[in-house]
Amino acid sequence: MELAYYPGCSLKQSSALYDHQTRLVFDRLGVQLKELEDWNCCGATSAGKTDDFLAMAMPARNLGIAARSGLSEMVIPCSACYSRTLVSQHYLEAHPDLKDQLNAGFAKPINATVKVSSILEVLLALHDSGALAGTLAYKPKALKPVCYYGCMLTRFPFSVPVPDDIENPQGMERILEALGVHPIDWNRKTSCCGASAAVTDPAVAHALMAKILSDALARNANCLVTTCPMCQMNLDAYQEAACQAHNISERLPVFFITEVVGMAMGLDIKKLEIEKHFINGTDLFKELEPYESEQ
Amino acid sequence: MTVSAIEVAPEVASPLISEVMERSGQNLLACYQCRRCAGACSVGDETNFFTPDRLIRAILLGDRQTALNNELIWKCVSCYTCGIRCPNGIQTGRITETLKKMAKEAHLASPHPRVVHFHDAFVESGVRWGRVNETEFMAVYEMKNTAADIKKMDFAAVVAEVTRQLKLAVAMLRLGRMHFGFLSAKGRKEIKRLSKKTKTTTF
Repeated sequence: MELAYYPGCSLKQSSALYDHQTRLVFDRLGVQLKELEDWNCCGATSAGKTDDFLAMAMPARNLGIAARSGLSEMVIPCSACYSRTLVSQHYLEAHPDLKDQLNAGFAKPINATVKVSSILEVLLALHDSGALAGTLAYKPKALKPVCYYGCMLTRFPFSVPVPDDIENPQGMERILEALGVHPIDWNRKTSCCGASAAVTDPAVAHALMAKILSDALARNANCLVTTCPMCQMNLDAYQEAACQAHNISERLPVFFITEVVGMAMGLDIKKLEIEKHFINGTDLFKELEPYESEQ
Repeated sequence: MTVSAIEVAPEVASPLISEVMERSGQNLLACYQCRRCAGACSVGDETNFFTPDRLIRAILLGDRQTALNNELIWKCVSCYTCGIRCPNGIQTGRITETLKKMAKEAHLASPHPRVVHFHDAFVESGVRWGRVNETEFMAVYEMKNTAADIKKMDFAAVVAEVTRQLKLAVAMLRLGRMHFGFLSAKGRKEIKRLSKKTKTTTF
């Protein structure tokens, strides 16, 4: 299987480990990722707050490149890039004038509809097809995770089809269950981590992160699993400050889903770069039990 | 709020309502003040109780001063929870995003200039190079902050901010999460050309 792949700026820089893990995991699953040629920044949430035209035009150019690739589906692991690209795609379908205007300025116009998928949607399809089970070698037994979706996988600024329940998504839980890991139900799976407020308004972001961490701790979780590089960075890099500001004594590692899937596939901590976290969680992967299907 | 419902003047209110409705794509007239958005708001505790319902009310009353100058439009994290809870499908997150732009166009200084500096610096970097270079973008962001703080003679704020960012940079360096290469996309010219031609678009 071949998929178009949009990494985005974050996966090429501070979250390069997520790009690296995504490639490793998809390689094991027999999925070839074809990175979009000369892709550009999606504008993230900042474009929506400063320039509505750029917020649509920036992801649109990438949609044109994806259309030219001839592939029918594009995977976008970063939640912000996924959200902005999906919104631009649906907005332009509803506003053909703007689409024509953009197409006139693009070397590669949007002349085909490519399915825009989050990493969860692709993993779920591979789970349903049985491909995922075939790659599993170990159960990471010590993990007691809560699945953290954040905002951008289920809530959008424009009406788009959402592939999971908006208030109580289950996609990540289904993937983890398939690995033999049992995620804990909780209240804060779609709460906001504060996003850019972690940089611009730390007190607000710390309060939001403290609510997320407190709920995870109250339910005896020992880690968080996420798909969003911004949530991962915020809850990892600023966890110490948030906990100190709100009298929380314990710390929780925040894993990318690719780390848990990768470990279950038998890839090792070094190869997956799991040690590149502010809150070290490598100990949780020491206890691995050989995988046997529960069916 | 500075006007009561009794004093509302439709000729004053209409232009503001129309502008926000058109630019945000949201039907504010559907709001019946049930306040589900207020209960949902992630930053409702941080805005002096100025919640999305109050913002919509201010706009409907034609209170431009309050609509463009309140804590919510700057504290809003665009989590869009208000929008999914609204029984009438109003996405207030789009309204705060629209009002941020309108405040800027009206040359109103934000009470939270860092928010403005952050989003400006991010988009500028993304357009300048075609891809956001994190180190460069953060440097530009901090230069904007420093210039504003020095103008206010607030040197303590400069020191605190620089110290905080340096600590993070050192930690990221240690973990190998700092990136030194330079990212760019040739196609940025296409976006710049289009953006020059089209000044605004509504949502």
